Amino acid sequence: MLEIVIWLSFAILSLSLLLSFVRLLRGPSLPDRVVALELMASLTVGFIGVHAIASQRFAFLDVAMVLALTAFLAAVGFARFLEKRGMHADD
Amino acid sequence: MGGFAWNILLALIWVAVSGNISGAGLFTGFVLGYIILGLTLREVPVFSAYVRRVPKIFMFACYFAKELVRSNLRVAWDVVTPTHYMKPAVIAVPLDARTEGEIALVANLISLTPGTLSLDVSTDRRCLYLHVMYLDDLEETRAQIKQFEARVLELLR
Amino acid sequence: MTEWIAALLLMAGSLLMMLAALGAVRMPDLLMRMHATTKAGALGSGLIMLAAAVFFGSAEVWARVLAIIAFIMLTAPVAAHMIGRAGYFVGVPLWGRILRDDLKGRYDTDNHSLESPAEFNERRQHEDRRDQ
Repeated sequence: MLEIVIWLSFAILSLSLLLSFVRLLRGPSLPDRVVALELMASLTVGFIGVHAIASQRFAFLDVAMVLALTAFLAAVGFARFLEKRGMHADD
Repeated sequence: MGGFAWNILLALIWVAVSGNISGAGLFTGFVLGYIILGLTLREVPVFSAYVRRVPKIFMFACYFAKELVRSNLRVAWDVVTPTHYMKPAVIAVPLDARTEGEIALVANLISLTPGTLSLDVSTDRRCLYLHVMYLDDLEETRAQIKQFEARVLELLR
Repeated sequence: MTEWIAALLLMAGSLLMMLAALGAVRMPDLLMRMHATTKAGALGSGLIMLAAAVFFGSAEVWARVLAIIAFIMLTAPVAAHMIGRAGYFVGVPLWGRILRDDLKGRYDTDNHSLESPAEFNERRQHEDRRDQ
């Protein structure tokens, strides 16, 4: 039972990763792409969670924690950068 | 939060005494410790405030979970069906929360309930700007958000 | 029993993630895409983590999972706020059918401070009087 569900969620998550990649490519603006990257990061956190269950090793959850942390820092960094750039867009 | 620290201490004592070192053991110890505090130390102000606060936090967690599911379903419906029923708007709502911690918590919880996304707080901290997905009636939406804020503030104060 | 609960949580979590991705593709403007990704994304990864906690069941996994969930719930709205704000300064167009935009003209483009409605109205009246 759990076996099937694990494979099913791997499939669903892969499909979602593909969909968010579509948004990453299509844009149209830079903040849209940042949102897509954010989503890809949380999808990867989900992937790691499913993989931890599939491989029965909970040490993978540490990876998920670190990834969530870096993804947040990346999003904040991107946002700061965009805001600064938007400030100088007029001149 | 002196009451909470004492409750944790009682839970740890329970784990040590029963020798059941697991999440379930810790949880049992916590519940038992809470009952002991509630029954024996009600006269001490620190404990009585703590004892009254825990059910409130629990009730709020239930309410929040319910809201989370209900409004996720609404957004889900709109994402899946081909036509868009959204009535989006950016609205300003006056804030009763004063300190930075209160504002941060209120804004975060508003962001997590689907249908509303807090965008920014005005520099004088009087007003929260948020994006609403379904604006059926401006005053009604504002009233709902004020009610939600009042529930959060009740927990903190 | 725990396997069934874990399976249920896993399924719900991955379906929510799927919903977030679909929303990111289908929603018409940046703010509405963020609605889909922050909430459904955060809730989805939280549910998958919860499934892992139920599956392993030991205290150390529970502690880790609760820490991760708390962290996700704290950071997702903050990230959304930062990106939404940046989007406003970059000048991302909003959906054509938006009903109301209270933020319009409230940001100071030089120092990025934000006026409250009262201050905004006061400044407007002041400018009107000056123009007459």
